[in-house]
Amino acid sequence: MEEKEAKLVLDSFSGYYKSAEITVPSIEQREFGVGGFRKKIEGRHMGFGTNGMLHNYLVQDTPLYISHSIAYYKFPEATPMENKEWMGGDLVFDLDVHAGMFLSEAEIEGVKNDAVSLLEDFLIEDFGVEKKDTLLVFSGGRGFHIHIKSPQFRDLGGDERRELADYVGGVGLNYEKFFEAPDENKRVWGPRKTDWGYRGRFCRFLEKVLDDDPSSIHRGLKKPQEKAKLHSCMEDGNWSKTPIKDIIPRLRAVAERMKIGTINVDSGVTIDTKRLIRVPGTLHGSTGLIAKKLDKIEGFHPYHDAIAFGSEPLKIRVLENIGEQEFCNSTMGKMEKGEEKEVPMSYGIYLLLKGAATLS
Amino acid sequence: MELDFACRYPFTEEGKQAIIENNIQVNDEIAERAVQRVLNAMNWRDKEGRGIYDPTYAHLSDKLTEIGSYGAARMMLSHLRNRYLTNSFAVGEAKRAYAFLKGLEEGHPDIKRLQEEFGVVPEKREGKDTLPLATYVKFAPRSVDYRLVNRNVKGGRVEIRKKGAGVSKREDLRLLQEAIKIRVGHLGTIKNAPEIIRKHSERLMKSMPKVAPSKMSFEKGDNPPCIEKLLEAARLHQNLGHQGRWSLAVYLINKGVPYEKILGIFSNFPDYDERIASYQIKHAINRNYTMPACSMMLSYGLCVANCKVKSPLGWDEWKKRKRS
Repeated sequence: MEEKEAKLVLDSFSGYYKSAEITVPSIEQREFGVGGFRKKIEGRHMGFGTNGMLHNYLVQDTPLYISHSIAYYKFPEATPMENKEWMGGDLVFDLDVHAGMFLSEAEIEGVKNDAVSLLEDFLIEDFGVEKKDTLLVFSGGRGFHIHIKSPQFRDLGGDERRELADYVGGVGLNYEKFFEAPDENKRVWGPRKTDWGYRGRFCRFLEKVLDDDPSSIHRGLKKPQEKAKLHSCMEDGNWSKTPIKDIIPRLRAVAERMKIGTINVDSGVTIDTKRLIRVPGTLHGSTGLIAKKLDKIEGFHPYHDAIAFGSEPLKIRVLENIGEQEFCNSTMGKMEKGEEKEVPMSYGIYLLLKGAATLS
Repeated sequence: MELDFACRYPFTEEGKQAIIENNIQVNDEIAERAVQRVLNAMNWRDKEGRGIYDPTYAHLSDKLTEIGSYGAARMMLSHLRNRYLTNSFAVGEAKRAYAFLKGLEEGHPDIKRLQEEFGVVPEKREGKDTLPLATYVKFAPRSVDYRLVNRNVKGGRVEIRKKGAGVSKREDLRLLQEAIKIRVGHLGTIKNAPEIIRKHSERLMKSMPKVAPSKMSFEKGDNPPCIEKLLEAARLHQNLGHQGRWSLAVYLINKGVPYEKILGIFSNFPDYDERIASYQIKHAINRNYTMPACSMMLSYGLCVANCKVKSPLGWDEWKKRKRS
């Protein structure tokens, strides 16, 4: 990026920070890292004693990116890492979409649905996290971050966090483990629809398959009485009641179609206990959008609701063909490569940061 | 009664109290027993309870020696700062405790006391025995049977199962064993060890088995991340579950690493037993096992990165392609 574009971007960022209220809980225990036009993290091991100090830094020495540690340290600025004295860390999940220059409406809906499912079905329902201990943040880029501040997870190490990440991602899920070896009466005990977690989800999904397409499991299941027997297995967990001898292997296809746990979590973020994560409320240096804290995700649209700058015009020259795009609560028209045009400041900065435009 | 508890489980608060109240000081007898205790931990076998010292009918002074020897052993290990010895000691002491516990009926006061002290107290939820999720993932053994993804999880609780069909061990006790191992393995530092500790530590080192753990000669990046992680566990003398060891052995065999070198790598594990390891490696060589695919490594919980190969053995090929 040329100097004049860089100056415009950083001046705009600084202007945003003058009026932004950014509060980092336990700020004195967090390590900070900042990045510029070359790298997202160019320097780390920084610390701020108060949120006021952070505010001054953002206004005066405005970085393009700023992240804080998910960890709490006794000495956040100390180096090397082991001298910081790790005291625990938030549990963080990162949901990302690998998108092109813009997220499509379908991608936005997809990642929003994943975030709701992660929060409600997994974190609250299965992990027992209280809503008040969660912080949902639009990352400012291509997805969402969910920060969990519950004390019970704070001291978990990387291996333990991997178990949690694998659970929500369904990694290593083996439905055959839902079934026990035959007991002394040769009865096979397996999952029930009232079971917890994946076992219950598996049965509830199987019920749907039985209603919609029973012969995909076994031809005999077209008969109502056979179907009823399988339903009964899922009531009390006694899977010996179905006469289909090889029922367990036959359910493999169902398990594979179940599509549970397809949540696109970047497990690398969750398991890294020293990870730096974008400071909520700050700007994303690749988009100029706000990493916005959200009370609810329904109705949120990143290109309308995470806008940091005003609608004053910015004259740009586009470097590639750009299609019609929703932005700043209106529709931005198509632009041809080489075209010069005035666009709203937020949209212009987005294109500058994506390398799709220059100032004209 | 209380001394018997401290004797069996010297890593508890009860054990600490017994040392203070009885003013147990390290002498040659206690230090000698401590050396033996560490060596036993390295060679400890959980077979029919053989090799376990049960203090029930012991003389009072023997009981005090037994309790003191645990403290003295920890002092020696703090002084020596030898990770291999420390981890072997932690594994051995935890197995020793498990051997006592597994003979007790459910709800026995000793089990309850230990569960409370280690914060591993199962509670009933909807008729199931459960542990808090965070406690479960902290103390669950790293084995496919304990993977969270295949467990009953709800409202921050994880069901733990009783011994029975398909469950080979009492899971509440197995998790307690892991918690004990972690506590025993955490040592403070000791700067100026007393003379008696230094003297017996030296003797301990001289009494160590002659076969020293083999050094690793792999360079970083020689192997895929999952195998690097398993080798790292060996390097740090950390215990590995069955699937981890088996996968590592099969990988090394398939890579053409000679038997002796594999055995040398396995000698780094804290509960290494040459006879068993040798049998297992030879068995794997003779059976010509194929390497588990990445999907299987995933289900074992051993996959640690998305490295775009289908089998860990495809790593070399992938690296070559990437370079060209």
